[in-house]
Amino acid sequence: MNKAAALRLKFWTPNVALLVFFMVSAAVFSYFRFFHGFGSVTNLNPNYPMGLWIAFDVACGVALAAGGFTTCLIVEIFGKHKYHALLRPAILTAFIGYMLVGMAVMFDLGRWYYIWHALIYWNGNSVLFEVAWCVMLYLSVLAVENVPAVVEEYKDKVSLPGPLALFNNLVNAFLHVADKVMGKVAVFFVLGGVVLSFGHQSSLGTMMLIAPYKLHELWFTPWSPLLFLMSAIAVGPSMVVFEASLATYFFNRKSEINLIGDFAKFIPWFLGAFLLFRFGDLAWRGALPAAFVPGTYAYAFWVEMALFIIPFVALMNKGVRFHSVKLFLAACSVICGVVAYRFNVFLIGMDMGPGWNYFPSVGEFAVTFGFVAFGVFLYKLAVNYLPILEQQH
Amino acid sequence: MPITRRKFFKVAAATGAGACAALTAPPQASAANRPADPGFGMLNDSTRCVGCKVCQVACKKVNELPAESTLGDGGRLFDSPRGLSDRTYTLVKMHRDEDSGEATFVKEQCMHCLDPACKSACLVLAFEREETGAVTWNSRKCMGCRYCMIACPYNVPQFEWHRAIPDISKCTLCHDTRLVHGQPTACAEVCPVDAITFGHRDELLRIARNRIAADPDRYDPHVYGEHEVGGTGVLYLTKPKVSFASLGLPPFGYKGVPRLTESIQHGIFKYFIPPVAIYAALGGIMAFNQRRNKLKGETEHE
Ligand code: SF4
Ligand code: SF4
Repeated sequence: MNKAAALRLKFWTPNVALLVFFMVSAAVFSYFRFFHGFGSVTNLNPNYPMGLWIAFDVACGVALAAGGFTTCLIVEIFGKHKYHALLRPAILTAFIGYMLVGMAVMFDLGRWYYIWHALIYWNGNSVLFEVAWCVMLYLSVLAVENVPAVVEEYKDKVSLPGPLALFNNLVNAFLHVADKVMGKVAVFFVLGGVVLSFGHQSSLGTMMLIAPYKLHELWFTPWSPLLFLMSAIAVGPSMVVFEASLATYFFNRKSEINLIGDFAKFIPWFLGAFLLFRFGDLAWRGALPAAFVPGTYAYAFWVEMALFIIPFVALMNKGVRFHSVKLFLAACSVICGVVAYRFNVFLIGMDMGPGWNYFPSVGEFAVTFGFVAFGVFLYKLAVNYLPILEQQH
Repeated sequence: MPITRRKFFKVAAATGAGACAALTAPPQASAANRPADPGFGMLNDSTRCVGCKVCQVACKKVNELPAESTLGDGGRLFDSPRGLSDRTYTLVKMHRDEDSGEATFVKEQCMHCLDPACKSACLVLAFEREETGAVTWNSRKCMGCRYCMIACPYNVPQFEWHRAIPDISKCTLCHDTRLVHGQPTACAEVCPVDAITFGHRDELLRIARNRIAADPDRYDPHVYGEHEVGGTGVLYLTKPKVSFASLGLPPFGYKGVPRLTESIQHGIFKYFIPPVAIYAALGGIMAFNQRRNKLKGETEHE
């Protein structure tokens, strides 16, 4: 097995400048959001109190970070160690993803400085309570799961800049302890992370069920928690493929198509199970006719379905799986499908009553792009300086 | 309706009736198809409302809310402001029934649900259903996530979109300002035509049924809020030719809005058995696969 190693490429490239541009523009809008209220930036209104930031930054963010727990499930729990190379990047992206979700939540909370209230005032009846706790705990688990990479890179090599050098020994000792402890407890975290993911991935599906009279019948189902979990499991490997493909392209690495193409064989299984359940549920509830009533809901539904069904069919074909461009496109389709599904549940399928409409403002888009850019920035930083991606010869 | 009678109900309800009901209505009484609920509420009789908006003004006064204007907003002048907002907790609007064409004034506000979706949704327990029956919101706990706004079927809770440190705001049934001092709600007190009756919910239901029985031509026989969304503290009456839906009171089911999410949540996390079971099962699978991989490795080495 190859060893992972820091890339150590030149960090400041034109691409990074572009990322910085997005981050700065998000920062400008965030000034208004934090000092002049939501009204100065967003198009949110009394009937659409949650918008793009919750639907994309949080609901999709959590789903797209599912690569972490699904890869963990496949590699560590089902013992498919040949995909080991995919584990570290997946765990890293999940960590970055959840960190961004946490930040996005802070952005979206009117009283963000009270975020810690979720720790002390417990309402076990609230779906959001469960989501908040699971996300918080899982973020901590992911942080721990990333420790080995840091230990590997810096153990016995700690050299902090300037006056911080005083702490070199201390930090080094800490890394030694972390290394020892991790060796013993890693397995508990691996299992814990998967269970926590099951918990909040499904609870995200429960969230909008609090509004039975607002969510359209194509999406309002008591099985929503299971469907959300299944769609997250389906999108996990797709995200791994997506990231690996981009890393190959942008870091000029050798193609990993043999590995990811093989890994992609899980996608049609997961996706097929999801689709089976999705249609089974619609048929069982008698909601299928609603999919044929022309209008926004039906169109949104079919877009979502197409984005799932096309890659499902395509990925059953070996020729697609082992062709880097086709595989990449299929993975993108699954990702877009999950994004569409979440948007349908959180925004498009929600009829919030007459008289109000919502379309995200420029400021909301800018902030969302800023978050995505920040995520990419952190990823690049991490793979550049930590042993995440495997060495290639 | 004579003023004296109206006063009587108000005072009786605000002072003693609640306590009496609580004492005389043991939980078993709920078997008689009504929740043993000691709360107060209001009966909004849309057949009586003349649209003078005095209640709206009284609400602004008692809650110290600034006026809002939609002048220059085009169109209908009467509905000013257009909807509930962070500065308007109650609002009289004119509605026209699409089928009969008949116009009606009706007061809009928090329904003070018996099984409030807002309360169930709020992760930090900022909502409380007080003993008075008022559903209140606590500024010291709320983190401004606005999930309560999604949850409320009537879109009642409002958010201060233009403040850096925003509050959630809505009708409090005058809980802090008046109820706890034994006074009825401000809007009910000022209504000149008795369109708003304050009192114990049981009493209000009785009054509503009496009115319907006494004048069946004037009323639709249904009391809105008796069972809708599990029952609401604020009840409505309407004319036979004006549907409740046209008044902004949709035909919601009789089950409490949060029943589904709560049963799912409690099912998934029942005594933590399901998550622990999954943990154990995954642990087992992991151990099994590790052993198998190791054995395989060993045979390969041989
Ligand atoms: S009407 Fe809405 S805000 Fe009022 S108690 Fe019911 S759910 Fe809560
Ligand atoms: S906005 Fe405040 S009151 Fe409403 S659900 Fe969130 S924390 Fe609770």
